[in-house]
Amino acid sequence: MRLSARRLTLALILLARMFAMAAAAVPDAQLKMPNFDSLAAKASNSVSITLDSALLGIAAGFLDSSKPEDAAAKELISGLKGVYVRSFSFDKDFVYPSTEVDMIRKQLTAPAWQRLVGVRSHKEQANVDIYMSIDQGNANGLVIIASEPHEFTIVNIVGSIDLQKLHRLEGKFGIPKLHLEEK
Amino acid sequence: MTEAERCAPEDSLSRAAAGESAAFTALVRKHQRLVYSLALRMLSDRHKAEDLAQDVFLQLHRNLVSIESDAHLSFWLRKVTINRAIDRLRREPKYEIVSLQESLALVSEVRDDDLLLQRLLRDLVGRLPPAPRAVVVLRYQEDLNPTEIARTLSMSINTVKSHLKRSLAILREQVGGADTAGPNPTAAKLDPSTGKQRSLT
Amino acid sequence: MSNNLDDQLRGALRSVDPDDGFSERVTSRIARHSRRSQWSAPSGFRWLSAAVVAAVVLGVLMAHDWQLRREQQGLDARKQLIEALRVTGEKLDLAYRVVNDDAHSAASENSGA
Repeated sequence: MRLSARRLTLALILLARMFAMAAAAVPDAQLKMPNFDSLAAKASNSVSITLDSALLGIAAGFLDSSKPEDAAAKELISGLKGVYVRSFSFDKDFVYPSTEVDMIRKQLTAPAWQRLVGVRSHKEQANVDIYMSIDQGNANGLVIIASEPHEFTIVNIVGSIDLQKLHRLEGKFGIPKLHLEEK
Repeated sequence: MTEAERCAPEDSLSRAAAGESAAFTALVRKHQRLVYSLALRMLSDRHKAEDLAQDVFLQLHRNLVSIESDAHLSFWLRKVTINRAIDRLRREPKYEIVSLQESLALVSEVRDDDLLLQRLLRDLVGRLPPAPRAVVVLRYQEDLNPTEIARTLSMSINTVKSHLKRSLAILREQVGGADTAGPNPTAAKLDPSTGKQRSLT
Repeated sequence: MSNNLDDQLRGALRSVDPDDGFSERVTSRIARHSRRSQWSAPSGFRWLSAAVVAAVVLGVLMAHDWQLRREQQGLDARKQLIEALRVTGEKLDLAYRVVNDDAHSAASENSGA
């Protein structure tokens, strides 16, 4: 059926508004995570962490400011609005969820997102991509997609992430030494 | 014919206040369209609207003795429904999930352009902030004049007129020339390819 | 255009009926509410005192239960946060190692050439 110009205009307005509403419905820099059920079914271990701003606030309330590591963690998360992690470990090599990762990469496009790091290692047999979301000159989101022989991980941090503050946590809470240069 | 149907409308109020359940049921049937529609246009959700409408009639049942006349009843129902809806809207989270599939299905199913425009208008009214939304709904669903709207919402007449003027300007801008007839309407003030459009607030 | 918009708005916001059986649902809800009210308004001071005491005790128990759940929720959130920070640090470290490996490999190839 050939659409009349008027009908087409109305339809486009309605659809565009639905797009705008859907975009506005999700806080900035938060990924729409795919359903990883098929991957979880194959995994020997899976980690799923969803901490929105409310839960981050609750967690912060249970960090003891008198302990240096807790105080540092509290400072780190003070600018965050959400932390989302999906991580899967496997017994077999290279279980890579290409469909789900494609769905995530489609959300990580310019100008909202910039890929800071995209590395492939033959030695470690690992691929790591790091994306950052920049809004008016400020970083307001981070995504890490890491694929190793027996592990696949996605990290999405929403909010103002200060990697120097993460650096101060190295060696604590099991966080490895981060090779970040002090500014 | 049921007992509620036998109960003449003009008797219903006094008999319901005296405790007659059939009379109260008659009152509910007489005014359910008004209450439910106001709730629906404010909350944009049938289930929430029914829930709110039931709350309103439950409150009416507890306050029947204070209702003086049929006119007072209509005023009371509008006022309580709108105020409850505004309270509920202000308590709700600001984010909502919209199904793109549903909107695509709607566009292909609705054949009539006027119906599509009306669907769009309902959608846009549903995105106005609570107070202006209430003003628009009372104006166009209930045909109340600004004085009556002001009394219902306990607002000044100037505030009502200001909400109405601004809301209509926003609605007019959003639908652009799409409500005019003819093969070549003026382009809507939107860029559909980017989905960018101005805020309704 | 104003008149057309007015007409379209009247059409868009016209009143509609609720689903069938609405009045029956209202009256049955009122009946349930009335039964609850009768139960909670007993006659006699003695019964009222017992009801008040029961309500207070229930309130205290619920508040305590809520407090325990809240505390558990907080501890769980803290644990998840620490795990998330650990995973993030781990993957950033992996990225560094991969980049470093590439740099060392390139350096080795250049020096061997």
